[in-house]
Amino acid sequence: MGYWSPSGRRELCCVTHGWDLAHLMGSNRAFAPQKYNADYDLSATQSADTLAFVSLLEEKLLPVLIHTFWVDAKNYVEHTRKWYAETIPFPLNFFLPNAMHKRHLERLQLMWGDDYMEDEERLEKELYREARECLTLLSQRLGSQKFFFGDSPASLDALVFSRLAPLLKAKLPNGKLQQHLKSLQNLCNYCTSILSLYFPWDRGDPLTDAPRAAGTDGSEAEEDPHKWRKQLLSVLVGLVAMLGYAFLSGIVSIQRGSVGPASRQPITLEEEEEEEEE
Amino acid sequence: AEPWPENAALYQQLKEEQILLSDNASSLAVQAFLQMCNLPIRVICRANAEYMSPSGKVPFIHVGNQVVSELGPIVQFVKAKGHSLSDGLDEVQKAEMKAYMELVNNMLLTAELYLQWCDDVTVEEITHPRYGSPYPWPLNRILSYQKQWEVRRKMKAIGWAGKTLEQVLEDVDQCCHALSQRLGTQPYFFNKQPTELDALVFGHLFTILTTQLITDELSEKVKNYSNLTAFCRRIEQQYFEGHDKDCSTIAARSSKKSLLR
Repeated sequence: MGYWSPSGRRELCCVTHGWDLAHLMGSNRAFAPQKYNADYDLSATQSADTLAFVSLLEEKLLPVLIHTFWVDAKNYVEHTRKWYAETIPFPLNFFLPNAMHKRHLERLQLMWGDDYMEDEERLEKELYREARECLTLLSQRLGSQKFFFGDSPASLDALVFSRLAPLLKAKLPNGKLQQHLKSLQNLCNYCTSILSLYFPWDRGDPLTDAPRAAGTDGSEAEEDPHKWRKQLLSVLVGLVAMLGYAFLSGIVSIQRGSVGPASRQPITLEEEEEEEEE
Repeated sequence: AEPWPENAALYQQLKEEQILLSDNASSLAVQAFLQMCNLPIRVICRANAEYMSPSGKVPFIHVGNQVVSELGPIVQFVKAKGHSLSDGLDEVQKAEMKAYMELVNNMLLTAELYLQWCDDVTVEEITHPRYGSPYPWPLNRILSYQKQWEVRRKMKAIGWAGKTLEQVLEDVDQCCHALSQRLGTQPYFFNKQPTELDALVFGHLFTILTTQLITDELSEKVKNYSNLTAFCRRIEQQYFEGHDKDCSTIAARSSKKSLLR
């Protein structure tokens, strides 16, 4: 899930549900440094098209998706925050969603200019219209093909899917954009076919009734073994470090006969350490 | 089609001493687009064009009693008047055209902004003196720094602040490569007829090619693609030479001269 991501690219997380994030991150990372080596079979023109459609998505769709998930008051309070609060471990879930909300808000204000605040209504209408247009364009480009460049997937497919699937599957109370996506039949079919092809273990109900299920059975069934191992490891590391420090600095010393004060300290500290490691 | 008023005007900053690379490119793109639609327009230069524009961006056109700024809205406005360049395209081509236009905005325009506001040498030598040129001493510095701060914050928001000049030039090269591939040997991006994409690409590439900056690195990137330079020359000859002697081409050329200083 997002908060485990090593590169700290939580932005992706904002528009992506946990269940496919790891895979997306992989494909996106392969994107940047190698200059689209996922697109080995594509012709030069098709690679150029990839670049163009990536720009279209980043310019027109991504900011509005961020808005839909993080800034739109109803969606944020009733969906995104709830979902994050349920999935993020204990101490972080109190402030992390809020911090992310603030950062996204700030970012959009910068991207859309300062008059965004003054004329929110108009700009939202304008930008949502552009995002809907972008979805329509994608649908037209896709046509009746299976993938954007014929029968085999390319990096563009991974990117488009990563943007559309969360929007399609999330249960948003305010689904302006979602309604439009659902009306574009070929894009919906495209998402479902990629889901069943490449994410077969996710096919069942869990993802359709996100966010609740995503937090409970959908992802935890998969993450449980890792989670426990990580927790156990972090506790152990913390314990060893603390005991080592305690011994070296002389807070605790082993004296036969008086064990009393030493036994209390490690336990209280251990809890703190465990929280930090999460 | 609705009649196009004779006194339609396009506003931009002063050509000689004020306008910057990115604004000149955008202005030239709009001029090329209107020329392609065969709609005459008078170019008016005002030092405060940026503050006159409804969106704060240059250029904007004043037609009848309406004021519209930037290429996208202008294309829609002209379309509502019954003139369109992209009507002949099918749906897939329209989608591709829009995508390529975003590519130009996303990479070329952002690279121009990066170069003129984030590259310290260019900022000191070219951007600040030109941007603040119409104003007296303390004001020119204040306005320049204000604008610089605004652009740099935006760069941060879109993740360009951490890029080096080399990376930006690499992006420009990638973008030019894609455009060159797409154009191939055709006269225009969608074969025989020009579209707003052609106008936009022309505006940016022609400005990059003819503007003298501190180094030639940027224009060298474009010059590597011979079909793109030929494309620029073709559009210049077809739509600008002879049509109006004192405006558009000279707008681009004069910025070359004045930037040489």
